[in-house]
Amino acid sequence: MGTAIRGGRRRGRLGTALGLLGELLITLGLVLALFVGYSLWWTDVVADRAAGRAGDRLRQTWSAPAAPPGGTTGAAPAPQYAAGDGVGFLHVPAFGRDDQTLIRMGTTAEVLDEGVAGVYEEPYRSAMPWDAEGNFALAAHRDGHGAKFHDLDKLAVGDPVVVETKDAWYVYRVAGTLPQTSKYDVGVVAPVPEGSPFTGPGRYLTLTTCTPVYTSRYRMAVWAQLVRVDPVDAKRTPPPELR
Amino acid sequence: MYGWIWRHLPGPAPVRALIALLLVLGVVYVLFQYVFPWAEPLLPFGNVTVDQGNGG
Repeated sequence: MGTAIRGGRRRGRLGTALGLLGELLITLGLVLALFVGYSLWWTDVVADRAAGRAGDRLRQTWSAPAAPPGGTTGAAPAPQYAAGDGVGFLHVPAFGRDDQTLIRMGTTAEVLDEGVAGVYEEPYRSAMPWDAEGNFALAAHRDGHGAKFHDLDKLAVGDPVVVETKDAWYVYRVAGTLPQTSKYDVGVVAPVPEGSPFTGPGRYLTLTTCTPVYTSRYRMAVWAQLVRVDPVDAKRTPPPELR
Repeated sequence: MYGWIWRHLPGPAPVRALIALLLVLGVVYVLFQYVFPWAEPLLPFGNVTVDQGNGG
């Protein structure tokens, strides 16, 4: 047997191989631990930075062409949005005071990974808040990449959800929740969401994310109904729900 | 493996420790900047949309 007994070192080939295997396994464990840190912390850092910048940019474009004092109402001419465009901000008091999530068109990974709430464009093209009727459906990450909908399960029937756009505050109230459903259940974002308390056309808001936390096994949905549209004043005074 | 790297680093122990630390930081940087962003979409942890199974 070729056991090397040189310089006092008595390690056979098997020993060396086992030692190498052990070191590789330790390395694998460390890499996996790093991946957890990456997923749950670093992607948040990156996404919050990107969303903060994008949000600031959007607010700048809002204030740039001096809005007429007194403001226009929600009936202003509806702008057209392309994928990735900033639409406004979602405020959910149940997520904490001053909660603010940038809303952008599209639900691709590139959009959602930037720490925003994405507007569904498929399988159903969402109605926008200012549309006469339809469902404004949003998705956001539960964990990592900003984790904007981490606390979506904290929303209960009656809680306010506010969408802020250039010209208006759209105040919704939660009407129903679906704690768990299949990821193929596209009906939850339909114009009249399937499984929701709504039976006819109306102005609805749907928030979806994955559940349970840290996995993507199922989806969760929260449905809300528009109760009021407040025009934005010169100082952008938030509606009472956000104060 | 780690022993081999340690033996092949130049200089006295403190210098070796510094170089080893830099190597670790370099590896972490490459993982965070390139490897994890590549691997993440392949893993089923971040899909939040309802769809016909294309992920999201």
